[in-house]
Amino acid sequence: MTPPLFHLAGIRFGYDPSHPVLRGAEFSLAPGERVALTGRNGCGKTTLLHLMLGLLRPQAGSVEAFGAPRRTEAAFRAVRARAGLLFQDSDDQLFCPTVAEDVAFGPLNLGKSRSEAADIVTDTLTMLGLAGFERRITYQLSGGEKRLVALATVLAMAPEALLLDEPCNGLDAGTEDRLITILAGLPQAMVLISHDAAFLDRLAHRRVELRDGRLI
Amino acid sequence: MHIVDGVLSAPVLAGGTVLAVAGIARGLKTLEPDHLPRVAVLSSAFFVASLVHVPVGPTSTHMLLSGLVGLALGWAAFPAIAVALFLQAMVFGFGGLTALGVNIVNMAAPAVLVHYLCRPGLCRAEPAALFGWGLAAGTLAIALSVLMVGLALAASGRAFIPAAELIFVTHLPVMAIEGLLVGAAVVLARQVKPGLFDFTPVAPAWVEAGDD
Amino acid sequence: MIGASVPADSLLDVLDARLRLLAALSFALVVVSSRGFLAPALANAAALVLVVVARLPLDRTLHRLLHVDGFILLALATLPFSTPGDIAFSLGPLAASRQGLAQAGLIALQANAAILALFALVASLETVSLGRALAGLQVSPKLVQLLLMTVRYISVIEREYRSLRLAMKARAFRARSDRHTWRSFGYLFGMLLVRSFDRAERILIAMKCRGFDGRFPVAEHARFNRRDLWCGLGWLAVLGLLIGIDRI
Repeated sequence: MTPPLFHLAGIRFGYDPSHPVLRGAEFSLAPGERVALTGRNGCGKTTLLHLMLGLLRPQAGSVEAFGAPRRTEAAFRAVRARAGLLFQDSDDQLFCPTVAEDVAFGPLNLGKSRSEAADIVTDTLTMLGLAGFERRITYQLSGGEKRLVALATVLAMAPEALLLDEPCNGLDAGTEDRLITILAGLPQAMVLISHDAAFLDRLAHRRVELRDGRLI
Repeated sequence: MHIVDGVLSAPVLAGGTVLAVAGIARGLKTLEPDHLPRVAVLSSAFFVASLVHVPVGPTSTHMLLSGLVGLALGWAAFPAIAVALFLQAMVFGFGGLTALGVNIVNMAAPAVLVHYLCRPGLCRAEPAALFGWGLAAGTLAIALSVLMVGLALAASGRAFIPAAELIFVTHLPVMAIEGLLVGAAVVLARQVKPGLFDFTPVAPAWVEAGDD
Repeated sequence: MIGASVPADSLLDVLDARLRLLAALSFALVVVSSRGFLAPALANAAALVLVVVARLPLDRTLHRLLHVDGFILLALATLPFSTPGDIAFSLGPLAASRQGLAQAGLIALQANAAILALFALVASLETVSLGRALAGLQVSPKLVQLLLMTVRYISVIEREYRSLRLAMKARAFRARSDRHTWRSFGYLFGMLLVRSFDRAERILIAMKCRGFDGRFPVAEHARFNRRDLWCGLGWLAVLGLLIGIDRI
C-alpha cells in the first residue's frame, strides 16, 4: 500500500482553548484520491485544511505530510510547496495587478526564474482554458473567472495535493460545470469542502463528515 | 522616526504644534465630507503599515507609506497622518502628546510636498515611467521626513546632532525600500483602479458654513 | 481602543473624558519641562498608580512600555558621547560624559512617565467617549469623525492584510530581503488600498441611505460635575507639587 500524502492523528485545536473546534480528529489522504469533507458551518473544515499546511498549529496531535512528521515552520514550508490551498474567497488569494503576475507569484517563491515562471503561467492558463488572460486585471474579473485564476495560481506550483475550500461557492451553473470538468481531469489528490451534493457526487471517491470535532 | 516626549526644546515643540494645527486646518478645509471615508482608509493603512515588518538585509523595517498617503491626499494628508500618529501614541506609546505636533509635521509636510512634486508627473506618466514616479515619491517622502527629524533634534541642542546623523544613515535603506514599495503600489493602483488617486479635494460652499 | 483592552468599571470611568485628556496632556507638559530627577521619578510613581487605578493589565502595559523603551534607549544612545562634560567611561575613541548620561536618563524617565499616564488616562477610554471628549474640547467635528472612522477601518484593513498574508504564505511566500519580496509587499498594500477604497464607497452609500448630508452631529456630553471638579483640582495639586519639587 502506498503511504498517505497526509496523515493527521489526534488533532486538537481551538481558537479559544476552552471551546476546541477539533477534538481528536483523524484524517488521511492517499495519493490520487478525492475526499469530500462535509460538516456544518463553523465545524472546523477550513481549520483542518489550514492545520494540514501549518498555517495553524494543533494544540495536540501530529501532522504527517509527504512521509515525514511536520512540526516546525521550516518543515511546513516544504509542505506548502507540494500541497495547494484554494481559498474560499478568491479575493483573499489574488493580490497582484495582473493575472500573469499573480499566477507567477507561487513559482517565483519556489525559486523559479522569471522566464520559467512566464512559461508556467502560459501553460497553466492554457490548461484551464484561460489562454489570453495574462494581461487581464485580476481585480476586474468576474467571480467565476477569479475562482479559476485562483485555481491557476495554485496549480502553477505543480502541487501533489489540492485542498479546495468550497470551490464552487457562489459560482453559476455553467462555471461550476466547467470547474468540475477541470477538477475531474486533474491527477492530484484532493480534499473537497463543499455543501453541494451534486458537486461532490461527481468528484468525490469517499466522504468524511466533521462532527463534534471528529471526523466520521 | 517618532520623536519621544522629553527630547525636544520648548520652542521646537511649540513651533511644531502651531504648524501641525495650521496644516490640519488647511487639510480639513478642503476636505469634502464625501471623501472622509477614503481619507480614513488611508489613515488606517498608514497605521497598519507600521505593524508590517519588511526584511532589509539582516534587520527589518516597518513600512511608513507617507509618500503614498501624500500622493493620494495632498493637504488632507495632514489630518490623516495626525489621526494615525495620535492613535499610535495612545496604543503603542510611540511618540507622545507633547511631541505629537512635531511628529505630525515631520511626516505630513513631506507627504504634501510629494503630492505637488510627484503627482502631476505620476498622472501623466506612461506605464513604464509610473514605477519611477512612485519610487521617487516614496523615497523623497522618507528622506525629507528624516531630514526634518534631524532638524528638529539639532534645533533642540547641539548634543543631538550625532543622533540626527545616525538616524539619517540608518534610514537610507528604509528610503530605498519604501520607494520600491510605493512604486509597486502605484503601478498596481493605476492598473487595477485608474481613478484611485483622482479625487481632487474641492470644498463645496456648505462645508465652509458648517465647519469649525 | 485597538490593541488595548478596555478594562471594565475602573474608578477613572466615572470621570469626564475631557478631564482625562487634559490631565494626560498637562501631566506630559509638566513632566517634560522638569529639570531634576526627583520630579520625573515621582511622576513615574504617580503614573503607575494611575495604571493600577485604571485597572490596566499590569504585565501587558509594562511589556508595551519596555518595547517603547527599547526605541527610546536606541535614540538616546549617542547622547552621552555627544554631550561635553566629565568623562564617565570610554568605548575605544568615544568618551561618554556624566552629563550626557544624566540627560539621556532624564529623557527616558520623562518619556516613560508621560506614556504611562497616556495609557492609563486616555488609551483606556472607549473610542466613542474619546471622540466625544475631543469634540467637547472644540476639536473640529470632521477631525473627530475621521478619528472614529479610522479606528473602525484599522481592524478591517488589518484583517484583510492578515488574510492576504496567510494566502501568500500558503503559496510558499517567505519575506526575504529581495525585490520579489518588496514588490509583493507593494502589491499587497496597493491591493489593500484598492479594496478598502471600494469598501469606503459602500460605507458612504450606506451612510447616505441613512440620511447623511455631510454634517456630523456633535454628540451631547455629560456636564462637568462636582466629582470632576474635585478630581481636576486634585490633579492640579499633584502637578503643582511636581513643579514645586522640581524647583527646589
